[in-house]
Amino acid sequence: MTISGAAPLDRERNDRDAHDGAPAGTDDPYLELFEDAPCGYLETTPDGIITRVNRTFERWTGHHREALLGSPFVELLTSPGQLFYETRYAMVLSLAGEVREVSLAVRCADERELPILVNAVMVTDADGAPRAIRTAVFDATERQDYERQLLLARRDAEASEARVRVLQDASSAFGLATTAQELAAALLASAGSALRASSAAVLLADGSGPLELVEGDDITMALLPEGLEALAEQAIASGEIITLSSLAQAAAIMPGLDDALHRHRLAAVSIIPLRTDERAAGVVISLFGRDRSFDAESREIQAALARQAGQVLRRVRLQEELAHRALHDQLTGLANRKLLEEQLEAAISAATRSRRPLSVVFVDLDGFKAINDSLGHRVGDDVLVEVAARLRSVARAGDSVARYGGDEFVVVCEDAAAEASATIAERFREAVGRPLDSVPPRYDVAASIGVAVWEPGERAEPTPDFLLRTADEAMYASKDAGRDRVTIVMAGETDSTDLAHDPRAEASWEH
Amino acid sequence: MTFTAPRAHTDALRRNNVTVSGDPAGRPIVFVHGFGCSQAMWRSVAPQFEADHRVVLLDLVGAGGSDRDAYDPAKYDSLHGYADDVLEVLEALDLHDVVYVGHSVAATIGVLAETTDASRFGELVLVGPSARYLDDEDYRGGFARADIDGLLDALDANYLGWSTDMAPAIMGNAERPELGRQLTESFCAVDPEIARHFARVTFLSDNRRDLSAVRTPTLVLQCSDDVIAPESVGRYVHEQIPTSRFVQLAATGHCPNLSAPDELVREIRSFLP
Repeated sequence: MTISGAAPLDRERNDRDAHDGAPAGTDDPYLELFEDAPCGYLETTPDGIITRVNRTFERWTGHHREALLGSPFVELLTSPGQLFYETRYAMVLSLAGEVREVSLAVRCADERELPILVNAVMVTDADGAPRAIRTAVFDATERQDYERQLLLARRDAEASEARVRVLQDASSAFGLATTAQELAAALLASAGSALRASSAAVLLADGSGPLELVEGDDITMALLPEGLEALAEQAIASGEIITLSSLAQAAAIMPGLDDALHRHRLAAVSIIPLRTDERAAGVVISLFGRDRSFDAESREIQAALARQAGQVLRRVRLQEELAHRALHDQLTGLANRKLLEEQLEAAISAATRSRRPLSVVFVDLDGFKAINDSLGHRVGDDVLVEVAARLRSVARAGDSVARYGGDEFVVVCEDAAAEASATIAERFREAVGRPLDSVPPRYDVAASIGVAVWEPGERAEPTPDFLLRTADEAMYASKDAGRDRVTIVMAGETDSTDLAHDPRAEASWEH
Repeated sequence: MTFTAPRAHTDALRRNNVTVSGDPAGRPIVFVHGFGCSQAMWRSVAPQFEADHRVVLLDLVGAGGSDRDAYDPAKYDSLHGYADDVLEVLEALDLHDVVYVGHSVAATIGVLAETTDASRFGELVLVGPSARYLDDEDYRGGFARADIDGLLDALDANYLGWSTDMAPAIMGNAERPELGRQLTESFCAVDPEIARHFARVTFLSDNRRDLSAVRTPTLVLQCSDDVIAPESVGRYVHEQIPTSRFVQLAATGHCPNLSAPDELVREIRSFLP
């Protein structure tokens, strides 16, 4: 220790400054002020190469002056500090001329990290060209601990606030859903906002059938056959979230999927199963534009979203089931009378708007009562189910097939005039007349069919009831004429009571 | 600043605070800044091209004078979101045969823009590029995941510093908004919330697979002693881009545009045909 006369300033200093390297000629009180100032002091070139350093800085960091001089200041910093220095600190210093109270950390000689606060100014020459950077360094160890705790507490608070907000938003959006489709749309919206997914899709399994895409964008759809669908099946089978954090992981789990993802500018995947009860009923697939680590927190949010959606899905499925039951015949699964009337009403309005013809086909089984009476109701039921399936299979894609009563069926055929409906009705007659699987050959059934055709025109719009009655009467005409035949009537052109004498009775096909 | 652009495109120009200067008939040169700064960082470089180039500067969304309301977290969760913006700006100004100069992460953004639609690019200049900052098996990016978390801590710890720097500068000059704007630019204004997300996207992305698809002549400019993008990282970028040339700068650190603008300008000019 070569400084004398200044010792009373700091009793401990002699102990701590037990290394050499300090410049000689310490009579200068300003030099001493510099060397032993209560802050570290550095001077660097504008590029950050250290040219001067004081003793306080040496002492705090344990680095010797000889090692420090000529090396870049940034290399003293911890890695995060280096990132911050090069992406922010150096730029602000260069552009604004100074930085203040920047929080960094220095790597000390003994590998310890010293948290520091830094003020720095850029010194320029007369022309304004940068000449040097002067940097004051303060030991921020105590502050750092306290601030770090504050920071962690703030992050925790922000994270839990964000989590609650995501789940609240989701729960109100899910709550409004009345169909699986609406729920899927709400789920996709929360995947985008909560997970920052760039693409997403919702797939649901209906009963035991295969997964069906309920909602999703083109990209996800394009990727389903490339391996996503197989992963979705896996997630459903295991009930566990599947995550692919990077393309490398995608390649390891599903070779080829990495290239497919990369083609669509994607790098990570998460697949969350939706549980309605003991089994998963579907999945949410989220796709991300960069590597994702899926930490415990993000998995927790995903699981919570899935739980909420699963509960809503169960409710929605139940409602759909009840709604379906209210409108369908339990035995055959066909539309019931109530749904038929709704469909017919809609069809009449549509026909009026489009000025296209509409036909109502009334089918009554001949020979059914005999089967029911002699072979029992169970066999009767089987016959009804078989006939229903046949009617459905020969009806056109858009036709509505309903069970009207005991052994009566009604089919609403839009955009079908007399000739087209004659063809359709003939197909029904032929389909019902083929031998049935459910009864012995001698118990044949046949169909007496009546068709009411309505062509929108000068006459007023008919009621559903009127069309049904007209078709029913035409059906009785077929029965009266000897069964197993089709009678076609133009609804509204004749009083239906005169049907038997209608010249159009020629349009009756006999067999 | 005069340019005629269809109205639909003025959105892109406003969103990215695009400024155009120099020779309107000159070859277009577009400068894009990296993480942590704004177009202000080109102030010693861009003017040196004004005599014979049409010079275009822009701020990535979240930085400088960009439209913060345009920040869509899902879109900007990948560098492609920024690359799409660059393409929209080129289209809005109807630029062709563009010299694209991107610093740091904007080098990767340029690569993504080029591989999405190469038609408007003439040359790429990548200043201090890195396609992957994290170490990954055999690849040395230079950083571990913990370092990036530490950077996020550093951003948070310095959050107050940023806003107090900014606030008086803007509020104290309410009567002279142009002065406030100047100060904002000179401070490299960055929205702290967005900066945090951009830091994640920048330092956690892996764009190594995108390099080999580049077809445009490319100059890789590597600084000496660059802790952010060390030489091995720059060489990797060069090796992966078949059409690239590698030049080692004497400039040290990560920002030659600030520390050695003349050398940077010289190298860019000698690369251009």
